[in-house]
Amino acid sequence: MADFIDGTENVTVHGIFNWIRLLIIFSVITVIGNYIGYKHPIGEAFIGMGILSLITLAGVWLERELPFNISSILYISIIGIVIALPGMPTSKFVLYYVSKIELLSIVTVFLAYVGIGMGKSWDEFKALGWKAVIITILVIASTYYGSAIVAHIILVLTGVPAA
Amino acid sequence: MLKKGLQSGNVEHPYREKTDKRILKKNPWRDYRLHGTVLLLVIVAEIIGPIEIPIAKGVEVIIMPLLYTMVLGLVFYLDKNIQWIQRRQSRIAEGAMMLFIGVLIAKLAVSSGQSIHLIFEMGPALLLQELGHLATIFIALPVALLLGFKRESIGMTSSIGREPEVAVIVDKYGFNSPESRGIFALFIVGTIIGTVFISFLASLSVSIIPLHPFAFAMASGVGSASMNAASLGPTLAAFPNLETSIEAFAGFSNLLSFSIGIYIVIFIAVPLTEKLYAYLEPKIGREAIVKEDGDDNNG
Repeated sequence: MADFIDGTENVTVHGIFNWIRLLIIFSVITVIGNYIGYKHPIGEAFIGMGILSLITLAGVWLERELPFNISSILYISIIGIVIALPGMPTSKFVLYYVSKIELLSIVTVFLAYVGIGMGKSWDEFKALGWKAVIITILVIASTYYGSAIVAHIILVLTGVPAA
Repeated sequence: MLKKGLQSGNVEHPYREKTDKRILKKNPWRDYRLHGTVLLLVIVAEIIGPIEIPIAKGVEVIIMPLLYTMVLGLVFYLDKNIQWIQRRQSRIAEGAMMLFIGVLIAKLAVSSGQSIHLIFEMGPALLLQELGHLATIFIALPVALLLGFKRESIGMTSSIGREPEVAVIVDKYGFNSPESRGIFALFIVGTIIGTVFISFLASLSVSIIPLHPFAFAMASGVGSASMNAASLGPTLAAFPNLETSIEAFAGFSNLLSFSIGIYIVIFIAVPLTEKLYAYLEPKIGREAIVKEDGDDNNG
């Protein structure tokens, strides 16, 4: 494939601008959905999306710049946790604006892209038999319940009240 | 797509490779047809809002707007009358999605940071629930054997089968192995039905199974961002006053799934699946439904 980019290649400025533009588009759509669904003020929500987009940008950039084999998801998680820690000078600002963005507003936009993106897999999906569907359902359900039940038992044993 | 990406090497970074290929070379923000369609879907979905369907007394399934946008997105791609969402848009959407996962994770991480005290209070539950994922081996593997899968079942039932786990299996068994065919099948089916299925499952579970709300929150971190989000939706709706804590647990649980989770797959799940396979296969294995040189798992 001619336009194949090796994952180890350093990020070009061009690439970073592409990310930024995409994140702006994503933020605009999310803020509109967030306003219709939850009536959060558009300006404050947009700042919230700006913060989340910056964290994302830092995460994907670090993944490509640092020599470790670590997923951007971990960098993003760690940055997000650190800047929101109680006592951090950033925490008040971050919490205020990020709380203007509902998780579900982000998910609604995200899954629209997922839906369009999964279209390509449709033919492959149809070619797999019903047996593969049964196994997949079992795998997902038992992964979910397995951890829910273990978590529940430990929470009860360690005496965490059901809030 | 996935297979092509993995074949071209760099098995370690399926996410990064896809994102880079689609985002760095093309000019994805210019595809106003794609983004305009997403905006339209989001507006329609948010205006309709969540729908609660009572299925029995006190039991209801909540259908969230996030499901409408996803299902409609798929429908738009598949509908031949809709000319402006084609393969190109689908490819860009897939690449963009890899970037947008970051925003989702960042939101969860901020909730986690805010509620950092929870990790000290409930650390053991958080850590051990990751081992709960191994339940799939004991439940799905025997069924896969009864249905006539052979070595494919090792790939199919050892984990949830998203990109990181696919990379582990391909790395260990080779691209053309039955184990890899198994996890490819799981990956494809999971991509199409996983999100919708787990959303219904979570919705039903929170209304009929009396587990701790935090247990549901931790369980939603199954190792896939879209499945995580889809199962969190009904959980948040069921316990509205615990919103931040639930998001925090989902964030921690994601963090664990993407860090130690992969090592659990490598060092515990796959060897355990092998052991159980070796024990169970002679006892309950059926005639193979996939020929050794076969290409798919069509039963």
